[in-house]
Amino acid sequence: MKIVPEKASTIASDFDFLNLVLFIASAFFTVAIVGVMLYFAFRYRRRSNEDLDKTPRIYGNHILEIIWTAIPTVVVIFIAWWGIVLREKMFAVDSDHITVFVNSWKWAWEFRYETGKKSSGKDAVLVVPVNKPVKLILTSKDVIHSLFIPAVRVKQDAVPGSYKYMTFTPTRIGEYPIFCTEYCGTQHSTMMAKLRVVSQEEFDVWVNYVETDEGPSAELGKKLYSELGCNACHSLDGSRLVGPSFKGLYGSERELSDGSIVVADDAYILESIQYPLKKLVAGYPPAMPAYSLKDEEYLGLLSFIKEVTFGKDQGEELVSILLDEDKVPEDDALLQPEQRGARLVQQKGCVACHSLDGSQLVGPSFKGAWGSTREFTDDSTGKVDEEYVRESIYEPNKRIVKGYLPAMPSYQGQLSEEQINDIIEFLKSLK
Amino acid sequence: MGAADYQVDEKGHLEKNNYLNCEKGLKSWLFTIDHKRIALLYLGAMILFFLVGGLAAVLIRLHLWSSDSKLLSPDMYNVLFTLHGVLMIFLFIVPGIPAVLGNFLLPLMIGAKDVAFPRLNLFSFWIYLLGALIGFIGLLDPVWLVSKIKGSAIGTWMPLDTGWTFYTPYSTSTGAGSGWGTIIMTFAAFVLGFSSILTGLNFIVTIHRLRAPGLTWFKLPVFVWSLYATSIIQVLATPVVGITLLLLIAEKVLGVGIFDPEKGGDPILYQHFFWFYSHPVVYIMVLPAFGIIGEIIPIFSRKPIFGYSAVVFSSVGIAAVSFIVWAHHMYTAGMSPFSQAFFSATTFGVAIPTAIKVFNWVSTMYKGAISFEAPMLYAMAFVFLFMIAGTTGIFLATLGLDIFYHDTYFVVAHFHYTIQGGAVIGLIAGLHLWFPKITGKMYNKKLAIFAFWLIFIGFNVTFLPQFILGVQGMPRRYAFYIPEFEPMHRLSTIGMFFNAIGYTLALLNLALSWVFSKEKAPANPYKALGLEWQAPSPPPHDNFINTPIVTVGRYDYGKPLEDLGLKGGVSG
Repeated sequence: MKIVPEKASTIASDFDFLNLVLFIASAFFTVAIVGVMLYFAFRYRRRSNEDLDKTPRIYGNHILEIIWTAIPTVVVIFIAWWGIVLREKMFAVDSDHITVFVNSWKWAWEFRYETGKKSSGKDAVLVVPVNKPVKLILTSKDVIHSLFIPAVRVKQDAVPGSYKYMTFTPTRIGEYPIFCTEYCGTQHSTMMAKLRVVSQEEFDVWVNYVETDEGPSAELGKKLYSELGCNACHSLDGSRLVGPSFKGLYGSERELSDGSIVVADDAYILESIQYPLKKLVAGYPPAMPAYSLKDEEYLGLLSFIKEVTFGKDQGEELVSILLDEDKVPEDDALLQPEQRGARLVQQKGCVACHSLDGSQLVGPSFKGAWGSTREFTDDSTGKVDEEYVRESIYEPNKRIVKGYLPAMPSYQGQLSEEQINDIIEFLKSLK
Repeated sequence: MGAADYQVDEKGHLEKNNYLNCEKGLKSWLFTIDHKRIALLYLGAMILFFLVGGLAAVLIRLHLWSSDSKLLSPDMYNVLFTLHGVLMIFLFIVPGIPAVLGNFLLPLMIGAKDVAFPRLNLFSFWIYLLGALIGFIGLLDPVWLVSKIKGSAIGTWMPLDTGWTFYTPYSTSTGAGSGWGTIIMTFAAFVLGFSSILTGLNFIVTIHRLRAPGLTWFKLPVFVWSLYATSIIQVLATPVVGITLLLLIAEKVLGVGIFDPEKGGDPILYQHFFWFYSHPVVYIMVLPAFGIIGEIIPIFSRKPIFGYSAVVFSSVGIAAVSFIVWAHHMYTAGMSPFSQAFFSATTFGVAIPTAIKVFNWVSTMYKGAISFEAPMLYAMAFVFLFMIAGTTGIFLATLGLDIFYHDTYFVVAHFHYTIQGGAVIGLIAGLHLWFPKITGKMYNKKLAIFAFWLIFIGFNVTFLPQFILGVQGMPRRYAFYIPEFEPMHRLSTIGMFFNAIGYTLALLNLALSWVFSKEKAPANPYKALGLEWQAPSPPPHDNFINTPIVTVGRYDYGKPLEDLGLKGGVSG
């Protein structure tokens, strides 16, 4: 019989260490105090009734009382601090993680991956690659459940109507039980699942083998975006309609109508589709109706919103279409201005430093640059407009965007005014 | 009646015209306004609920003997642990010590004839019974039963299976009654709460207004102080049950979304409401037990209570802190990290006054003349059990650790150490201590000590293994479990037998001694100094035949230090 469950996550050792320290401290204080009590009981036991009135009338001792108030105070402040630090560590999400969407109902778990892979029902298995941080986004369809994996030492309630998260990094290949720890009725005690920690290779094979094509893809989300009429209120280009634009939405910080700040992460976006009025962005009317969709539809919309923000390969796709040699004539004059611009940024090597997909290279990405407001190293700000682009190409070091190095050479004399106009058209198309 | 009507023997025993036999007949009991008789009415009702709740616990533990036990169906298991929790918490241990020993002793301890509002006191008892009745109706799935009588019943009969915490949306959707059981139960808690509020008010006014001349605040018994702290919690926390009830009904009847996410509500809000009431309630259960231990140890050690004012202020401190710790039950519900840290920090604030109390109790024994009668054994057991309850409470208060321990058997064990090891042991200790005062008889001392050891050993064998189950990761409220957890469950079930037999024996000993013992208890069998020991045993209707006089401090045992040629210490 094992007393402490297997250690299968990075946090398990931290947890077990604090647990052990507390156990030793508790055992010490219990044995000490009960020991003193038993010693007094023996030492000062009543031997005869003559002892009755010979006891000293001691009412207290202020110094002693101050000491035994101060010692527990210091000890508990230290432990409280340690516990808070441990919790912070438990819930700190590594930026490089895989996301699993967890749904629950009476009485089963469902685990869904971004590839569309899912595992659910009585034999649900949460498959994760070893040594890779996992972030679980949890919700429930009916009552409150709670996902508990003793081997990784974490637990999180799955609450209907909201999305909570938990995270862990599995460290040991193997299979571990998952329990439901929030009482949910008849089969509460058999609402189990398994955590299966596998190698990265095995995981890749498993997660990419998707039996159905009904996955929560961005394609599905894109379709829903127009079918459900999301486009009536949420633009994709940053313009303000009834609701906030999807452009740059994912991962951004939003100020809510009650003044609090939330990060528009998976949980927030999923929650806002289902319960739009719960966390309303400041400055927008409470106009959105609640949507009740299928799981994959929620997740499809989420993927789509992510794609709008990060433009997963969207920029490169544009370039490849614009420059597809089979379709695009050699003669610049026959091209659209943005196609000429696309060709120029390739030919002049701009793309070596400026990505088209939002990723950060030496310089700022071209994606989403047009029309955005930038902060410069001299703390001034400016909008990316025609004048700024022209200035940046001819006198790149005049205003440097904060966080970047003054590394770009001047293209004065290398690019004509017309060519710059073409590049501007290209940038406009690359929102 | 005048003093001449009472024939008190030389030892202080009052055979005739005491409060037990001055009036006869059922009516004289059911409509009595004597605080002592009301205390006994409470005691009778509570012991009944305790036995039913205990029987449920016995069945639960028998079922858990093996991992795939067939003894109970999962639904029946869920119904039983709900019954156990509801009865033990709301009907037994919350009224518990204040309603029985508080009622009996408060006027005696402060030299009063009765509580400030004797009729209100009787009313409290009757609405307690009414609340209990409503509670039983709620437990029994009334909507289904009514439809059965009408012949339109759908599905099968399903008594309340929500657990005593009634978390929404499970509680508002379960059973054929679709959540009405929970609303009726909340109504019951509200009615019971009214009983608590009225008793609390009664005690507060009594302590303020009816103290005997010379009995100033800082000469009050520590038990009275703990009743005072408890009463304040009752008066302030209980109204929240009423608010919760109204919100539940508004949601059910008007369809307003409050707790139900389907309607746009938030189930976590319910948890806030529930624990805002139910956490302070834990201190309602255990603070009076602290008070009892603070009375017992000086009597049997023949020593003043060590650090009286620290003991008093720690009670008041615990009562105050108890209002700002409720969300420590919700670390895994997804609150903001800041809220979690806040509630963790406040929870640690409870540890300090509790630790002070333990140090004071133990120090009281220093240089005493200690005798080991049953009450003292219970008191010493209390200190040991409460050390375990307290230190495991530290594990649960620690944010990172509770993420793991929350809703595991660790919590079950901790809770039982606090409430059974604390409040119930305190109550039993107090019943033994004041038994001669209450009944005018003496219990069988040998049997009492034998029963004590059964309870003490049985309790630890039942619940220590549950800490290990918690560390292993065994979730609570599980009708079935994986085989790895079986050894500890078996040990726990074995312990339960000793524990159950111990309680039965202790209660039987008290009951049978009362009925059959020929031994007449003197007014003051322990040579104790408190005012209640000046009254005859059992006391007459008006408690004291002659107006009691406070000549010596309640805890002034032994000799002044100067008389013993000693120096130091703190004067009274």
